[in-house]
Amino acid sequence: MTVTEERPTAEQQGTFIRPDGKEKVTGLGRYTADVNLTGQAHAAFRFADHPHARITRIDTSAARAIPGVYAVVTHEDVPENLYGGMVQDRLLFAKDTVRWEGDVVAGVAARTQAIAREAAAAIVVEYDVLPALPDFVANAQPGAPLVHPEWTAYDADDDLSREGNVVGHSTILKGDVDAAMETADVVVTSRFVADASQGAPIEPRAILAQWTGDRVTVWTSTQVPFAARDGVAHTLGIPQSHVRVIVPLLGGGFGSKCDFHFEAHVAALAEAAGRPVKLVFSRREEFLAPDHRREGMVLEFETGATKDGHLVARRATLHLDKGAYTGEGGFFAQMAAMHACGPYELDNVAVRAMLTYSTNQPSSSIRAPTAPQTCWALEQHMDQVAAAVGLDPVELRRRTLIRQGSHGPTGQVFDEIGMLDTLEAAVEMIGYGQELPDDEAIGVACGWWPSMASPSGAYVKLNGDGTGTIVTGAQECGTGAVMALPILAAEQLGMRPDDFSILYQDTDAGPWDMGASGSQTTFNNGRAVVAAAQEVRAQLLQMAAEKLEIDPADLELVDGTVRAVGAPSTSVTIAELAGTGTPLLGKGSGDLPENPPTDIPSACVGRLGLDSFLAPQLITHAARVKVDRETGVVRVLAFAAAHDSGVIVNKIGADGQVYGGVMMGIGQALSEATYFDEEGRQRNPGLLDYKLQTASDGPRIDVRWIEVDTPNAGPKGSKGVGEPPSVPTSGAVGNAIAQVVGRHVTQLPMTAERVWTTIQDVQEEAK
Amino acid sequence: MSTYVEARDVAAAVAAMADGARPVAGGTDLVVGARHGKAPLPESIVGIHRIPGLDGISVADGVVRIGALTSHAAILSSPELASATAGLLDASAIVGSHATRANGTLGGNVMNASPAMDTGAPLLCHDASVVLTGPGGTRRVGLAELWTGPGKTSASPDELMEAVELPLPPEGAGSAYVRLQYRRQMEIAVVGAAAYVEVSDGAVSAARVAITALTPVICRVPGSEEALVGRRLGSNDSVSGENPAVWTQTTEIGDAIHAAGQAAAAAATPISDVRASAGYRTAMAAVVTRRAVTAALTRATGGSVTVPASDWSER
Ligand SMILES: Cc1cc2nc3c(=O)[nH]c(=O)nc-3n(C[C@H](O)[C@H](O)[C@H](O)COP(=O)(O)OP(=O)(O)OC[C@H]3O[C@@H](n4cnc5c(N)ncnc54)[C@H](O)[C@@H]3O)c2cc1C
Repeated sequence: MTVTEERPTAEQQGTFIRPDGKEKVTGLGRYTADVNLTGQAHAAFRFADHPHARITRIDTSAARAIPGVYAVVTHEDVPENLYGGMVQDRLLFAKDTVRWEGDVVAGVAARTQAIAREAAAAIVVEYDVLPALPDFVANAQPGAPLVHPEWTAYDADDDLSREGNVVGHSTILKGDVDAAMETADVVVTSRFVADASQGAPIEPRAILAQWTGDRVTVWTSTQVPFAARDGVAHTLGIPQSHVRVIVPLLGGGFGSKCDFHFEAHVAALAEAAGRPVKLVFSRREEFLAPDHRREGMVLEFETGATKDGHLVARRATLHLDKGAYTGEGGFFAQMAAMHACGPYELDNVAVRAMLTYSTNQPSSSIRAPTAPQTCWALEQHMDQVAAAVGLDPVELRRRTLIRQGSHGPTGQVFDEIGMLDTLEAAVEMIGYGQELPDDEAIGVACGWWPSMASPSGAYVKLNGDGTGTIVTGAQECGTGAVMALPILAAEQLGMRPDDFSILYQDTDAGPWDMGASGSQTTFNNGRAVVAAAQEVRAQLLQMAAEKLEIDPADLELVDGTVRAVGAPSTSVTIAELAGTGTPLLGKGSGDLPENPPTDIPSACVGRLGLDSFLAPQLITHAARVKVDRETGVVRVLAFAAAHDSGVIVNKIGADGQVYGGVMMGIGQALSEATYFDEEGRQRNPGLLDYKLQTASDGPRIDVRWIEVDTPNAGPKGSKGVGEPPSVPTSGAVGNAIAQVVGRHVTQLPMTAERVWTTIQDVQEEAK
Repeated sequence: MSTYVEARDVAAAVAAMADGARPVAGGTDLVVGARHGKAPLPESIVGIHRIPGLDGISVADGVVRIGALTSHAAILSSPELASATAGLLDASAIVGSHATRANGTLGGNVMNASPAMDTGAPLLCHDASVVLTGPGGTRRVGLAELWTGPGKTSASPDELMEAVELPLPPEGAGSAYVRLQYRRQMEIAVVGAAAYVEVSDGAVSAARVAITALTPVICRVPGSEEALVGRRLGSNDSVSGENPAVWTQTTEIGDAIHAAGQAAAAAATPISDVRASAGYRTAMAAVVTRRAVTAALTRATGGSVTVPASDWSER
């Protein structure tokens, strides 16, 4: 992969490389699976034998009789506490019903993993098999058989609009769509289908639990340590203070390790076994068992436009596959509805999104949940609108994208934003309009993603030699927080970023944080670190003022010293101050930015606070692709990514997010899908047939940051960075393919066979 | 009780195999397959990877000999093979990833007998045979007789494969292997085809075509071969290896290449699975066969086709 730098490199800028990088790439890094405790047992699960069935009998006696088995745990051995982020609809161990092939019926702890697996298989589970309900569109119809017949009894977020299998119904209604459609010169309708996909982290998840008295320590590969801790406490019915979650190095997550997953299962096994218990998933289990993958979708769009390129009205109906349980993914309908509007000026909108239960693997947040698929469909639809009104696709976007002062689709009025600049930058970088061979073309797509405000906390303390330690609740999963946080602390204290160590993640040490999710670690925890460092700064200034007998207002912190402004020789080093034994300790969380107001009618349902986008991250991607017309194989030859993520706090980290995000986006565009059989069983639960892109497939990726100093945002006017790089990627690739093929491929991923089939269709019709 | 021994010579390996041990060379099929649950690791294993003399490439008396332990990476860097058996290089170049090519051996690839193995079709087109040594001595078996089914060979469990041998191709010969590739590394053959041709006096004098992953056992396609033999490559000035498009589409040979592709599609008995539908596989059988034949003819006529031909022939 060739990477070009538009600006000086991080080192040239004085920023620094991630301190945990070397241990990770040299294999010295220690991940959860590398942690071992004396006397530990190994865990295995018995998963559901049918995607949908009533359990009539569970008999664990044969499994318990196998030599080397220490414990077998079922629903009988844990409290009957339903859990789930937005709807409490799941039990740790299935009791009456299994609702997907990965439902856990029982767990075993044994001397070796082989014995544990053998014992799990020896558990007798009898079922009355129920018809599988994999079709989420059919499940949304009134009268469809219910995945959760007891849904009304569940505790749930009050703002969710639920009905039967529909866990989340969300609408955006604005203006008068019927009347406006009448005024359109053209009305374009499109239908798209997106397959499910996966986060597919390199590290399959691992958990190790050890009890000391009535308290449990859990080492786990999670992106969200506090959610994991709270899940253990809630499901096992113990106080949060009795659960300590520690996260060693994390081998990627991409969203799939958000939420509480198997920590309580392993803790329950460890308690029953009376010894530490360790669970390490195989690659196959990593595909099949987590209630966490990207949702499949069916999307229908109708847009009315005028010949001069004005979008007069948009209708859209979106169906999203929730799978068997809600987890933290209850907000998907509203998020998808926002992406069905996109970053465009729209006065008349009628969007309806339904997030619906099925007996498939549950979906939950994977990098920018709902956005890549919805954006892929919308942006291809936009190219179809452009063709219908006879405008170049870039020109149509130029005329319709939001800009400063625009009223967005929900009436949000935008501050200064760089949306149009990202369009112009991407188009320039890719060389839009250049002569290309007839099997190559360029596609462009635009997208957006909100910055997410959340409470967050950090402590900053100084050591006796003048170095510092950041104790944070934030989690690092490759997002670069290990770089951004020291950079921000160092700036406040006149120190260097590598003067700091970071302690993460130990829930007994750091303050609460939502975890590595929502593109928000630097956005929120950065603010907390700055606030904590400012407390230390005040302490240092006070101490120095006393020592130097100068007013604190006349002092500055530079190069590890506190010195008089204008008289640098009057100074004291931070080490001297910190070495006196007086604790230098700051804590902080900072003030939360507030979501901008909207003017959509209150009649809209499923409003969970996402109808305005705080500090919106704005993106244009452009892809140059080559299509092999005989095989349908698509190669992405060059890629341009222009992002308004506000002011960039740490360029090397931000660039890294774009390179990785674009590669993930290209995978989703061309090759990554989880295919289900007619019963909802995964057909390709492994890396042989779940086709990630490889480094050799990576195109040249040019990155440009449109640095808008954004008010009401993160530290230094920054927005989020992590999720947007995957948002418009597949849309750009799809539009490029359509330029070559003469028609849009309507299924995601746009596999070679699907592209080839589209080519065949076009040729058939030409005959 | 599982056992592992390491053999220092062929006799020791054969003795261990006669006692029921399975040989392991690079382990990239045997060990990785066991981890995936394809088949459990054999109870008794004999490591053959350190047996001296079992790797290496030689050309003597009109025979090319490639030792069983020769890695795909070694095949790729052999100048002798580059000129004699370019089709084999096309295959070794796209086996797995850099790591797979460094560890995986030709012997393991051939003896694993997967219908999707990449070196199979080009070796079959080169009329290769394997040298098998057992307690009773050494024998040579042609590949068509070696592979008896998916994962099955006619070698007896105590026969060690020492080398692959094939006749040194004459002047005017060329070979190529082309595989459908969804991505550039870590692929598995969904559809593949190899071709070997000899060109003399402006016509195809010999042709062998074989298909990969399209039948239970990698096999030759007589229909494709018949379509090619005897066909003229066109007038002298249009025979240009550098620009095959000119002569493949406009002359007699263009029709023959097309017919070879159709014959391969007709010979295929593909399945539908998560990797591709049977219909797409059949259509692609024709495409990769045409490309393999075109690349082989281009090489036979002195044109340049970079390795791997799969990349070269992408349109
Ligand atoms: C990630 C990955 C990607 C791969 N990609 C490809 C690919 O693209 N194309 C492809 O064709 N293959 C691929 N493979 C399969 C494998 O790498 C190759 O088949 C390789 O050549 C096998 O060689 P080996 O030495 O590792 O075989 P081993 O695993 O050591 O042996 C394979 C089999 O052959 C037997 N055997 C080995 N040597 C001898 C001998 N001298 N005599 C008798 N029996 C013997 C063994 O007992 C065993 O049954 C891939 C494997 C992996 C793990």
